[in-house]
Amino acid sequence: MPSEDTKERIAKVVDVGKTILHYAWIPMIIYVGFTRSNPQPSLIKLISPLA
Amino acid sequence: MASPDAPINPYPSFPPAVPSSPTSSNLFSSYINRFSKWRADLGLPNPGSVENLQKEVKATHLTNYAFDGGRADLTKSMSMNPLFQVTHSFALGSQTMQPSYNFGAIYATEHVFLQGGVDHDGNVSARVNQGWANGLVSKAQAQLSQTPGHTMLQLEQDYTGQDFNVNVKAVNPWPTDFTGVYIGSYLQSLTKNLACGTEWVYQRPTPSTSEMVATYLAKYTSSDKSWIATAQLQPAGIVQATYWHKLSEKVDFAADLQLVATPVRRDAVATLGAKYDLRLSTFRAQLDSTGKVSALLEQRFTPTFAFLVAGEIDHFKNSAKVGVGVMIESSALSQEEMEMQMQQMQMQQTLQTPQ
Repeated sequence: MPSEDTKERIAKVVDVGKTILHYAWIPMIIYVGFTRSNPQPSLIKLISPLA
Repeated sequence: MASPDAPINPYPSFPPAVPSSPTSSNLFSSYINRFSKWRADLGLPNPGSVENLQKEVKATHLTNYAFDGGRADLTKSMSMNPLFQVTHSFALGSQTMQPSYNFGAIYATEHVFLQGGVDHDGNVSARVNQGWANGLVSKAQAQLSQTPGHTMLQLEQDYTGQDFNVNVKAVNPWPTDFTGVYIGSYLQSLTKNLACGTEWVYQRPTPSTSEMVATYLAKYTSSDKSWIATAQLQPAGIVQATYWHKLSEKVDFAADLQLVATPVRRDAVATLGAKYDLRLSTFRAQLDSTGKVSALLEQRFTPTFAFLVAGEIDHFKNSAKVGVGVMIESSALSQEEMEMQMQQMQMQQTLQTPQ
């Protein structure tokens, strides 16, 4: 059984990881898709729904 | 019993120089080999996963497709290989849901699938599938929200064998006290038509309380795969039975019966539905025992533009819902670029086939 201290630390790490994932997930997919697309699309086509 | 080309026969090649344990393990592995060969000789088909047990019924019924109010989906494909597309979805004027905007992105190659979505409130949904060799697939799925209690994480491991399927899931596992929901399922083909399986849900909301619920499943597929019947039974008194029949190339029919007979609640719902796949449109109609009649028409005017009309009348509650939607798909690629990619893909295929 881990100590209270460890438990608290794990909770903190999970919380930070969650926040990072929350903000970085969509940009990450767009970056991966954008850099590996063939041919590479223009940025405006990516963001705007109408272009 | 002994087949002429048994892959491992340890005795001639390893004379008794090393006795006891290695020999017995060789003996054991030869039995395993013989057993797996015997099993392969049976030629049983893969039954599909427990999650997809009612896939055909769900695709025929419009429960998963119905909507009300207005909606628009704009999908833009940036690249075909690897697949990369973004979706902007708008929904407005629904009786049950707030107006919403949703942005989604999908990136997929042969082995990896990445999906992300974010709505106007900043709630993010994430999904990763990674396929390994030999039928192993790892999946992860998450809902991230600022609202406490709406965050969800699901980790999943799937194994597709020759005639069986195993799946293990953990929903919201917490590393320090192992609370969460754990689900294990197994589906095995017993004959060419019949598959039986079971699913176990282990709930542990707090370290001191836990609960285990078992579900038993059976699936019968006709020899020409034109009809499928499934049944699910929970010993607490919940039964679900479905039947799906492909009447012709264009018409599917599906029936679903759910029975709840627990001491607290007695309830039953039957649903009948049909799906027509026409040349440029799909029409679904559904009738259920709670008095709801619903229909959904998906009409494609051009390959990139689809128009949807959904309607539902609840005769017992005297209420109705109507939905209208458009789906527009566009490609960032020009016509020439698209043709070039198609040619490239065909070239790759022709190069790969002779090897």
